[in-house]
Amino acid sequence: MASADQDDIGPDDLAAAELALGLLDGEARVAALARVAADPAFALAVAWWEARFAALFADGADVAVPPAVLRRIEASLDGLALDGGRRVVAANDNPGVGAWRGAAIAAGLAACLLLVVTVMLALRPAPEPVRVPVPVPVAAQAPLLAALAPSEGKGAPIAAAYDRESGVVRIGGAVAVPAGRSAELWAIRGTAAPRSLGVMAAGRVVVPTALRAQMAADTVLAISIEPAGGSPTGLPTGPVVAAGKLAG
Amino acid sequence: MATGAADRDAFRRVYALTSAKLFGICLRICGDRQAAEDVLHDVYITIWQRAGAYQPGRASPISWLATIARNRAIDWRRRHGRVTAPIEEAEAVADGALRQDDVLMAEEAQARLHLCLETLEERQRGAIRRAFFGGLTYAELAVQAAVPLGTMKSWVRRGLLALKGCLDGER
Repeated sequence: MASADQDDIGPDDLAAAELALGLLDGEARVAALARVAADPAFALAVAWWEARFAALFADGADVAVPPAVLRRIEASLDGLALDGGRRVVAANDNPGVGAWRGAAIAAGLAACLLLVVTVMLALRPAPEPVRVPVPVPVAAQAPLLAALAPSEGKGAPIAAAYDRESGVVRIGGAVAVPAGRSAELWAIRGTAAPRSLGVMAAGRVVVPTALRAQMAADTVLAISIEPAGGSPTGLPTGPVVAAGKLAG
Repeated sequence: MATGAADRDAFRRVYALTSAKLFGICLRICGDRQAAEDVLHDVYITIWQRAGAYQPGRASPISWLATIARNRAIDWRRRHGRVTAPIEEAEAVADGALRQDDVLMAEEAQARLHLCLETLEERQRGAIRRAFFGGLTYAELAVQAAVPLGTMKSWVRRGLLALKGCLDGER
């Protein structure tokens, strides 16, 4: 069957597959890696293959990590915090590790980690025992997730997760709220007027029972900056700092 | 910064849920415990620093993390040459038959990769799987299978072509 399919794929796509699978060595590998940096279409093709091959990760055995490794990682993270996030001394030299910016990273980190934790817990109804308290309840129904893109187009998206069991929206990542103001979360269905879900406190909002039916896939969540305690009008009055659509 | 402690808690949870999967990946490719631990250390530092680069919807979070770990382990392996001794506990690799109970396989696209691999000739499928799990190059695959390099390249390339055709075949 291979012969019949040979025209479906160009040499570029084959090269992308070879790099994604890790078949290349020496000059060929260096050249392919350089091309990823220079050629977005090629980078996309590599990412496509990586995402396809990722299905195989499920077949590999898990191996418990010695506890010392986590201690060493945490020590490095402590060092990073002291260093202002500028540079980490890696355990082995990494050519791909460049310079990072501190504050933006923290916001992005929280967003990603919230998603990872939420998705992992949703995928695994019976996770291995974790000693730290887990604020994300193991829900029978998977939470709805949204990545709220910053309005100014810069910075990392802010993750939001809506737990359908408890009616709580958790926001991961920092929302910059000026002193004396509040961040308010809104739900927007289609072209209807925004409905206030409440003022954010400690990164969470408990959605009023009456509004829980609004919380479904494709509902847009938005965060606006309002006077302390929330909008006096029932509609957003301040700048919307981030918005994004819920997805199941 | 204010979010630091909360981030660290989240990080520990992610580590607890993902480290065994990622360590297995690193160990199979590095073939050396200390190297695998070093790579794993760097992977989690990278995750901590580059979490913002994760794009929801492009891949599942665990796939994203696992791909970072695999690429980093391959970087190490390419820099340090061939490693011969396999690590026994990491060598267990399922045969690739569909595992209905595996939640990681829930996505249709992932199930499809397995179905498409099944359509390949055994030697093509076997080489692609060994390359994926062991981080092997064309040259290493050829030595392992005791065939000329050109033969191995031809097997793998024809396998990849067929795989692409199959993955694209059903919309």
